Amino acid sequence: MSGSALTVRQRLAAYAGLAKIQISAQTIYRSNYLVSLLGLLFKVYLLKEVWVAAYPHSRATMGHGQQISLSAQIAYSTLASVQYFVFNPWTLSGIPERVRNGQVAVDLARPVRYTAQMTFGQAGVMIAGLPFVIVALPFAILVGGAEAPASAGAGLGYAVSLVPAFLITLLTGSIVGITAFWTLETDGTSIIYRMVAQFFAGALVPLWFMPGWLETLASWLPFQATTYTPIAIYMGKSGSVVSTIGLQCVWVVVLWLILRLLAVRALRRVALQGG
Amino acid sequence: MTGLMAYVGARLEVVDPLGIIHVSELVKDFRRPKRIKGALGGLRTLVTRESVIKRAVDGIDFTVDEGEFLGYLGPNGAGKSTTIKMMTGILQPTSGKIEVAGIVPWRERQRNALNIGVVFGQKSQLWWDLPLRESLQIIGKLYAIDPARHRANVDWFVELLDLDPFFDTPVRQLSLGQRVRGDLAAAMLPEPRILFLDEPTIGLDVVAKERIRGFLSALNREAGTTVVLTTHDLDDVERLCRRIILIDGGKVTYDGDVESLKSRFVQQRRLVVKLAAGVEWRGVGIPGVAESIGDEAVELAFDPAEIQVSELITAVLADHQLTDVAIVEPELENVVHRIYASAGMA
Repeated sequence: MSGSALTVRQRLAAYAGLAKIQISAQTIYRSNYLVSLLGLLFKVYLLKEVWVAAYPHSRATMGHGQQISLSAQIAYSTLASVQYFVFNPWTLSGIPERVRNGQVAVDLARPVRYTAQMTFGQAGVMIAGLPFVIVALPFAILVGGAEAPASAGAGLGYAVSLVPAFLITLLTGSIVGITAFWTLETDGTSIIYRMVAQFFAGALVPLWFMPGWLETLASWLPFQATTYTPIAIYMGKSGSVVSTIGLQCVWVVVLWLILRLLAVRALRRVALQGG
Repeated sequence: MTGLMAYVGARLEVVDPLGIIHVSELVKDFRRPKRIKGALGGLRTLVTRESVIKRAVDGIDFTVDEGEFLGYLGPNGAGKSTTIKMMTGILQPTSGKIEVAGIVPWRERQRNALNIGVVFGQKSQLWWDLPLRESLQIIGKLYAIDPARHRANVDWFVELLDLDPFFDTPVRQLSLGQRVRGDLAAAMLPEPRILFLDEPTIGLDVVAKERIRGFLSALNREAGTTVVLTTHDLDDVERLCRRIILIDGGKVTYDGDVESLKSRFVQQRRLVVKLAAGVEWRGVGIPGVAESIGDEAVELAFDPAEIQVSELITAVLADHQLTDVAIVEPELENVVHRIYASAGMA
């Protein structure tokens, strides 16, 4: 029994188990999900009304040199709202709460990596919302609108690009969460993060309607890769699908490295200064 | 093999004759930003780079043998939890050596975790929203426990800790006693060689305490699990621990068995006599005996090294008619209270 650490396969089984247990833990919040789905449908409806009112009579306008039809814009905002809803549950990360109440001591006494425990757990929380969205999607399309993907390849590209989009959201949320090791309190940071992330993700306004400088800024931030990028691929407005997804993957690696770096520093801080 | 036999069989693979925990010259300093008092003190505290160093553990040495049941005691702030956290690998020592089952905990925290179980009385490792059953399931995965062994161990713990009545209840709905039993099962499921307990019986009623003591005693006796217990409940210690380490101000002030602790710190015994109706206390007239006269009984404090009990009783009986006589042995509670008080800690 004493001796060798867990093998990679055993670790993966452990992490999968942690994600799974969070999925089942979320089922007790069923009614919360149902209520917040109403909120989602309301948001989809309001955004549609705004775009209809904002668009000229020709029902088409230009955004960054491309023609954006009203129906495409409504399809965008519908899809973006739904996607943002799944990727951003109530808690960004389990870390702050567990640091505050001292549960982190329990996590650190486990034979598996701390950050992996937390991110896989959070992945479970995010995945738990999926079934609700599948139920809500037809209603969202009814209230808002939808368009078919630009091509079969665009549809496939969209599905693939959702994976790095999911991981980027997970990692940025965890990065905000891990600052709790220094600040204890992350409520304020989280509110700012949500605001910034939602805006620069293009979850409210697509990047093609942002002024040049703002779009440049957005394109240098990881957030656009979580919402705007997959939908732009879907609508055939992204340029090369492969390189766009490649760029998303670069973000995943960069953010993962940042999280690892912060985790090492956070745990060293605990080890040297105590909880 | 089932239940206990299987668990014991699995546990007793390796016994290190040289001891399982080695701690030598262990020191832990905490650095805190210096607090500045006075005008704008809070602001100046925030921007200052000055810090104060507080030594929480100040040169501790001890070795624990495999299979020992050790009480690790001391007043609040004595450095108990800091030592435990260093043994679990959460904290890195400032200096000194520490080795747990051949591993330096802070260097290989995850590998160390496979050898130890930890139960914090005030924190739970269980999943709050889910039934106990599911928590134990996931712990099997976290520690990569062989499924057959996992099943056998779960069955054994369900029986031994009587988990059945609440095995499928969400942990949030459990009573404190039930939750601690669940936590003990969770900690022991991976068959750790060492169990660290930080105030496991805090807040529990007498029945619940007794049940947990019974379990710990069986675990230590039958499965040979080494147990390190910190507690403020000295009944726990008297019932369970064969050895005590007392620390205070980050230093070991006592290391030995419970009996020697009592005789070392409390030389006095007390003889309590109850007088028959109408009899008045006339004294015993032996030098070195302190008398305190109460309404119901008279208490005579004496040093057994100087005055024989029989001599004292004879002297009392010579002048008085009694209905009852009793010799009161010192209780650990009083002993420890006295030690803390003499160090100015109580």
